[in-house]
Amino acid sequence: MISFNENSLKKVAEIISRYPEGKHKSALLPVLHMAQEEFGGWLDVPVMDYVASVLHIEPIEVYEVASFYSMYNLQPVGKYMFEVCQTGPCMLNGSDDIIAYIKEKLNIGVGETTADGMFTLKTVECLGACGYAPMMQLGKNYREHLTKEKVDAIIEECRTKAN
Amino acid sequence: MKGARMSKKLLLEKAHVEGIRTYDVYRREGGYRSVEKAFKMAPGDVTEEVKKSGLRGRGGAGFPTGLKWSFLAKPEGIPRHLVVNADESEPGTFKDRYLMEFIPHILIEGMIVSSFALGSNVSYIYIRGEYAWIVDILEQAIAEAKQHGFLGKNILGSGFDCEIYIQRGAGAYICGEETALLESLEGKRGNPRIKPPFPAVKGVWDRPTVVNNVETIAAVVPIINDGGDEYAKIGIGKSTGTKLMSACGNINRPGVYEIDMTISVEEFIFGDDYCGGIPKGKKLKACIPGGSSVPILPANLLLTTAKGEQRLMNYESLSDGGFATGSMMGSGGFIVLDEDQCVVKHTYTLARFYRHESCGQCSPCREGTGWMEKILLNIENGKGKMSDIDLLWDIQSKIEGNTICPLGDAAAWPVAAAIRHFRDEFEWHVLNPDACLKENYGLAHYADPIHIPVLQ
Ligand SMILES: Cc1cc2nc3c(=O)[nH]c(=O)nc-3n(C[C@H](O)[C@H](O)[C@H](O)COP(=O)(O)O)c2cc1C
Ligand code: SF4
Ligand code: FES
Repeated sequence: MISFNENSLKKVAEIISRYPEGKHKSALLPVLHMAQEEFGGWLDVPVMDYVASVLHIEPIEVYEVASFYSMYNLQPVGKYMFEVCQTGPCMLNGSDDIIAYIKEKLNIGVGETTADGMFTLKTVECLGACGYAPMMQLGKNYREHLTKEKVDAIIEECRTKAN
Repeated sequence: MKGARMSKKLLLEKAHVEGIRTYDVYRREGGYRSVEKAFKMAPGDVTEEVKKSGLRGRGGAGFPTGLKWSFLAKPEGIPRHLVVNADESEPGTFKDRYLMEFIPHILIEGMIVSSFALGSNVSYIYIRGEYAWIVDILEQAIAEAKQHGFLGKNILGSGFDCEIYIQRGAGAYICGEETALLESLEGKRGNPRIKPPFPAVKGVWDRPTVVNNVETIAAVVPIINDGGDEYAKIGIGKSTGTKLMSACGNINRPGVYEIDMTISVEEFIFGDDYCGGIPKGKKLKACIPGGSSVPILPANLLLTTAKGEQRLMNYESLSDGGFATGSMMGSGGFIVLDEDQCVVKHTYTLARFYRHESCGQCSPCREGTGWMEKILLNIENGKGKMSDIDLLWDIQSKIEGNTICPLGDAAAWPVAAAIRHFRDEFEWHVLNPDACLKENYGLAHYADPIHIPVLQ
């Protein structure tokens, strides 16, 4: 059975209390973030159904939202997801080369995950770090001013952390 | 070139004081004075000061903030809300992030004063989902403000209650558009609403709502501290106060700069106090001065208006000449392209961005952005035809003005401006399908001095 632990359920209740009485649906985005974090980094259908039951809304309302926003993963992803920005300002500063380098280094294409389930490579659009390009999002943080050497170091860092 | 003088700083002056993220240091440096001052005023008088300041919304449209506040409906018994727009997703723009990351309390302080003026007892910050670590910084600041009695019930004995909550988005540029943002805050897809009704009458949960940008709300702090008249003295004409610019692309010193809007574009790009010129001594080719949606300008039209006047970093001067020869201040996302950059490729990445971010409700936007992306990619890869350039022009002109929200326009304008000013570069791609894969068109004549016709 999918279920948030007690602490998370308290957190959900706290989130719901931020909105007016009866407007608990407003908690959907924050609760989906929590669910994705707790249940394996992506939103499987049973997870979405569980979120619907927690918020007393219809499952379709959850699917609609989960499929609209790019940060919700509707498929499994690797333990570490490299989300490299490729929009104009990053492109001007060499994001194409960084993407090509990661592909070569991890031997995967964009949107793919390494066989060991460790890394996923994704290209994304502007993340608000244009002055610190090229950059990627890794989990909760940004990695900026990327170079090939930095990419190597990040990959190493992830591998070490995973062990 | 040496910068003549530093602009006056109102928002970032203290941003690098050690420990300024904490309440104690922020307060010691004079923080939260504007709240104390505002509580001695009537809410309407706070709005009046904001009106006097001439402050214009910093989210992109430049709408006068005091005027917007005065439109807020105040029906008896229905709560109102202030919602701060921290969605910041316009390519080239990263100023709100900087402000929230380095000096978070100025946003909280501005929100308390603004909430008081508007009568919002529960205010929200809607922040883009990717800025996850900034949520922690802001939550810390909110907790500290609350602990010191600046949030909660009966703040400083004023009788005014206020809570601030943060809502994290989940990756959707369209949620920066105010009505899409409100939908998202209600836990729905970010589909913009048809206006009217405007948020000032029916906003979040059908309640009267004001949506303002992060920088706009932070600017309320110096306005209340110094008075609206003092604020209005900074700048030129209707460009009052200071503006945060996020500068990126091919410049020596990318970053966020607080400018007063009297400096020239030339000084901003080449001055040591600002962008510090272009790396490796390369030449300036083009620039998008206000975020990806505003028209790109070739170097000559960027530095000088079509009338031959020096162009300044403010609302009026940047838009001088209209779309024919000018651009816009927009969100202050300043993107510089050097002589080796390809305008076709850059425009392609922007078209891809808008296709990716279209919510899909209106066919001109949903279909048109996809077509523009495909055609631009073909031209970029040497597979375009001459007629494709006219087709692109035709598509963009049919999107503009024909959609529910301005994302359609935002997608059309960059393509239109690129063709308007750089048509020969597009043609060169079509005529040189092999060469364009190996080299770029280069600087061409885009930096040549403008010929100013002498009027008889
Ligand atoms: C597609 C689109 C995206 C927008 N993105 C943002 C944004 O990220 N941040 C923002 O403050 N305003 C954004 N806006 C403008 C908002 O709709 C709104 O005008 C603004 O938040 C009002 O605040 P202001 O008056 O303080 O500028 C966007 C508008 C559109 C059409
Ligand atoms: S213009 Fe585009 S983004 Fe805006 S409502 Fe229409 S389809 Fe959605
Ligand atoms: S273009 Fe990459 S972060 Fe903005």
